[in-house]
Amino acid sequence: MRTTPLVLLALLGAAPALAQTPAGGSWLDQVRRLRPVRTPTVATVKAAHRLTLSRSAPSVAASPSTTIDEHEPNNTVATADSASLGDRASGVVDPPGDVDVWFLDLTAGQFLSVDVDASVAGSPLDPEISLIASDGRTVLAFNDDFDGFDSRISYRIATSGRYYVAITGFGNEGSPQARYAINFGTVTCAAVGTEREPNDGPATATPIAIGDTGSGEICARDDNPAGDVDYWAFTAQAGTTIELDVDAEALGVFSDPFLAAYASDGITQLAFNDDEDGSDSRLQFSITTTGPYYAAVSTIADPGGNPFPYRLHVRLIAQGPGDPITVRADRLGFPLGLAVGSTGDLFVGDVTGRRVVRVTSQGVVTNFATGIPGPEGLAFDAFGNLLVVSGDGAVYRVTPQSQVTPFITDAGIPFWIAVAPDGRVWLTDLSDRSLRRYSATGQFEARFDAIDIGGFGPGPLAIGPSGEPYFSNGTEIWKLANGRPERVFGNAFVIWAFAFDVVGNIYAPAPAAGRITLFDSTGTALADPFAVGPDAPQAVAFGRDGTGATVARLFATDPRISRLIEVNPGGVARPGHPVGYVTPPFAIDVAAASLLGAGGLSPAELLFLDSIGNRNGRYDVGDLQAYLRTLGGLPSTRSKP
Amino acid sequence: MRGSRWIFAMVAALAVAAACSHDSIGGPPPARAGTLIVRLTTPHTDDGAMTFQVSGPPIDSAIGVNASLRLFTRRVGDSTIVGALVGRLASGAVVTLHVRDVGAAAAYTATLREVADRQDALRGSLTGYALTVAP
Repeated sequence: MRTTPLVLLALLGAAPALAQTPAGGSWLDQVRRLRPVRTPTVATVKAAHRLTLSRSAPSVAASPSTTIDEHEPNNTVATADSASLGDRASGVVDPPGDVDVWFLDLTAGQFLSVDVDASVAGSPLDPEISLIASDGRTVLAFNDDFDGFDSRISYRIATSGRYYVAITGFGNEGSPQARYAINFGTVTCAAVGTEREPNDGPATATPIAIGDTGSGEICARDDNPAGDVDYWAFTAQAGTTIELDVDAEALGVFSDPFLAAYASDGITQLAFNDDEDGSDSRLQFSITTTGPYYAAVSTIADPGGNPFPYRLHVRLIAQGPGDPITVRADRLGFPLGLAVGSTGDLFVGDVTGRRVVRVTSQGVVTNFATGIPGPEGLAFDAFGNLLVVSGDGAVYRVTPQSQVTPFITDAGIPFWIAVAPDGRVWLTDLSDRSLRRYSATGQFEARFDAIDIGGFGPGPLAIGPSGEPYFSNGTEIWKLANGRPERVFGNAFVIWAFAFDVVGNIYAPAPAAGRITLFDSTGTALADPFAVGPDAPQAVAFGRDGTGATVARLFATDPRISRLIEVNPGGVARPGHPVGYVTPPFAIDVAAASLLGAGGLSPAELLFLDSIGNRNGRYDVGDLQAYLRTLGGLPSTRSKP
Repeated sequence: MRGSRWIFAMVAALAVAAACSHDSIGGPPPARAGTLIVRLTTPHTDDGAMTFQVSGPPIDSAIGVNASLRLFTRRVGDSTIVGALVGRLASGAVVTLHVRDVGAAAAYTATLREVADRQDALRGSLTGYALTVAP
């Protein structure tokens, strides 16, 4: 199994103070997060933490009790100089390339502050500092410029032991004048701005009115191991849509805030965002019940990390025709893929729950299939079985009786799946960035290279009204025309699993933007936003009625808040384009009689039969065999001579 | 007149006797209804479907030799049926014909028209294939 609970927790964002949600940059990234965890390297940690900024008035202070000097050589963990909490140490980075290493013995739970003063005191040194774990190798935190060019790290010690702090000059610079002082202490800070600390929960939330802007500081404190969380309370009216917008990076400071909206109970998460505007957060959500709501601001990257000020804007925004949304099912774990059954039931893949659930029109949720690792794309095949792309690299077939068997096992990293009207199965494969086509019964037929489309594609995929597969490369939608990728249009946001209506308009969810946009077939936005009520919609699908006919109701999975939602049906102008296999309007006996010379089928129907068979330009016995197989009438046992 | 009538009676009696005599010593056998078997010879082991034609004396019906073969037929006039047979084909009996006279087996002609492999691809050549009808 390639999916790990740790990474899935990270995807969930269910524990806002601890977890990182998808940035929405690409599904490739997201899929990678669904697959093996990679141990971060020093380089990646440095890259992740390297930020250039300027900031003054630090709100974290250490209280030096002793001043000690470095003793060269101290370039390695083996020769590190000793320091303790409360110490102020001094040294010089000389010659160029010099590294000064200090060690401290710390206790789990301590909130370490390492603060370097160099340029602030007139030194030419532009210091960089790293906090290194007890193994002497693992970089736990890195900072370059926090106070102007000077550096600071705040870090919650998880395990008692010896830790190392390494100081170098930016660009390996050094000189006899490159002196520094370093303060080893613990983090303390106080409330600033209009927030009223303590406001770490809904019960103590700071009031704010819609249309106002609040200000505060995320400042982890020693009595809050999870780091600071600022709650704000406001009252909103049903039928409106609210936007919460946090500016922190926009103020020019090192920060990575995240933002969550909670319902009146202060517990039910309604929406979540991390990096909508660079590192800053912004989200919109529909208000379905008049009452109090809560905005929570904190930080993801390092809950006990560097403090930063922020501003929170609470706005009323214009809705799209698909607003307000309605929650059709909740507590679905991490719902990703979505398919609609022939009688209108909705089938949702729960990545973290390793299951596919069935949601009836009455909202009753039952397990349909269990034990499928990381279910991603879903589609119904020509025989009424549900095909489920799994995080373990296989596609599983689930019968209507919930029997699960491997179906396709020869793709590298299959991701999204669709079934064409002729019953053929299409897959996107991230391992070699290709589309793969299989027969209705799972025999591999063809591979189509999609590397040249650029971006992150091919990702989510849908069959267009013409019967051709459409797929996204991230911010663009492409289609496969005569075996070659052809760009259809582009968008400002990443487009996830989209759906067509009967005239070819495309409903495209943009999870990072927290909205669904409606495009025409050429990419002209018909409604942007179409709906802003969803939090981070990832897959949309049209509903079907009890006869299997596609209707003008649009559903979406919203993984970050574990929900299946429906947009306002009043805003969906047309029914959806039928999805999946379309049963031809003639029986197998008619097809056979036509092959034997009785006629009775139109040229288009003969072409259809050839298209599901050997595609040699005429209808022949091979096509009859394929049609029989598609209808499920092919004998399967060996003939007895 | 009496003499003429006697002569006529004698001739008729002789004729009847002669006829009875021929019958007892080897005229054509009577038609006997029953089944004939259509047998396939194939050079391949992955045939999945074929179309064929059988011409000859009337055929009342045709069925696949077992349930693993699905047969579709169409009658063309009084003397020909065409059929499509789908399943895992192999050399040997494939179709059972119900006919009115099994003694006329040699009068039937069976011809293959198309063969497809199990991946739906049409055989480019039918060399090595044969179809026969026999009791």
